[in-house]
Amino acid sequence: MVCSETPKPMTISPLTPAADSAAVQVLVRAVEQADSALGLLQATQALAVVAHPEAAPCLVEVLGFNNPGAAVAAVDGLIAIGVPAVDTILANLDGNNYGARAWAVRALAGIGDVRGLDVLEDALGADIGPSVRRAAARGLGQLQLHGLAEAQRLAATERCLEALVAGCRDGEWVVRYAVAVGLESLAPAVVAAPIQLQRLELALTGLSQNLAEEAPVVRLRAEQARLRVQQLEPGRG
Amino acid sequence: MADADASPNPVGNGDPITEAEALRRLRLTDDPSAQYYAAWWLGRNRSTHPEAVPLLQAALRQRRPRDPGAGVEENAVARNAARALGKLGRSAEAAIPDLLDTLEDQDHGLREAAARSLGDLKALAAVEPLRRRLAPGPAVAGALQPGTPRLVEPCEALLEALGDIGVADGEVLAVIRPFVDHERPLIRSAACRALLQLTAEPHWGDHLVALLQHQQLQVRRAALMDLGAVGWRPALHPIARTLAENSLKLIALRGLVEQGAGHDTDAVLAAMDALL
Repeated sequence: MVCSETPKPMTISPLTPAADSAAVQVLVRAVEQADSALGLLQATQALAVVAHPEAAPCLVEVLGFNNPGAAVAAVDGLIAIGVPAVDTILANLDGNNYGARAWAVRALAGIGDVRGLDVLEDALGADIGPSVRRAAARGLGQLQLHGLAEAQRLAATERCLEALVAGCRDGEWVVRYAVAVGLESLAPAVVAAPIQLQRLELALTGLSQNLAEEAPVVRLRAEQARLRVQQLEPGRG
Repeated sequence: MADADASPNPVGNGDPITEAEALRRLRLTDDPSAQYYAAWWLGRNRSTHPEAVPLLQAALRQRRPRDPGAGVEENAVARNAARALGKLGRSAEAAIPDLLDTLEDQDHGLREAAARSLGDLKALAAVEPLRRRLAPGPAVAGALQPGTPRLVEPCEALLEALGDIGVADGEVLAVIRPFVDHERPLIRSAACRALLQLTAEPHWGDHLVALLQHQQLQVRRAALMDLGAVGWRPALHPIARTLAENSLKLIALRGLVEQGAGHDTDAVLAAMDALL
């Protein structure tokens, strides 16, 4: 977050996720009427913490306000709302507002809904912001796929794997680090598919043994991931 | 706080040009914009081409008094050349005399870039001239330069370079210590960083950790970078909790892994994972 002042701790009324619409609307109006950066931050935090689905459109709007502190709070709120927020996020993806799009990618990565797959794939492959590619790589490893029919699940897993394997060649160390983490968390989804598992392990081996790697921490994390993935395999570990 | 790469555009690796193209552009002495980008490119991509260092040395000599009306002013090329040399490691050692020469330049920004690169290259020969520039103390070298927001000397860069080079000589420590009380928190941060690197005394680390709570974001960012540069493992949790961008916290934690030592590497990696 890039707010210039440390936000003061604030008291939050004890609303639960079951808070009624009227209470949410009051919090939404507070966000709409905030007249300073700090005011917006605090109002967004208050709205985010109730994690109510009706807060989603307002939180998505905050992503486009160019107030990074408030955006962080809004992303946290959207992740807390979870699956019910996904349609709102996808419907409001703003191709022209780069900053808002970056925050939306983070929210989708955090929620892990498979409907975010297209966006995460594009973001890791082509977004100009390393922090967006980083979030996308992490997100591609943690999509919640168990509810899907098998054919869909396999197809989605394959796309995640493909995108992450390509991400190993990213120019930024932090993205390669996130790719190692993403591959590790994707591993349980491919553990029963020997060919995919082999590709995943090969990618981690490549990251951990890349002599041209400028960041030792990437090699270290990839090696840690590789050993953990090995433990998953039947007959080993 | 180390300056970011002076990238002319926000894309990770810049224009996809080849090394040969970068070397060609660096020779275009009548096109400073092309040279500026080429110098940055060679540093960013850690060029090992045998012509890279001699060309950067030549670009470093291509400096003039400031001419703000001239678009990319020519010292901008020299500055990027100095920065690039700092990234090229051992192959740039041949350029240390040029960087020492640049450390005496009238241009504040050039002295700053040269100091940082000499620190990056751990140039022992730079310790004495760096110390000499700081020796007049915070009230002189660290005084505000009239009519500018700058200090008389680029103190932050000079202090950081002394810490990075790592000569814990009594005279060096004595020159650094008074800057711990400088009125600017960024200078205090740089001085604590250098003293922590040179003495490993934990109380300098405590000072830096305290700066992670400073009310200005810029100061919190500097303290993050300084703790990362030292690899100060006791700062792990305070870093993770700092109100700053995750990108910077990740860089700081990378420093804890790579520059620091201890049995808690897995804990640092776990903290990094949580910030992605």
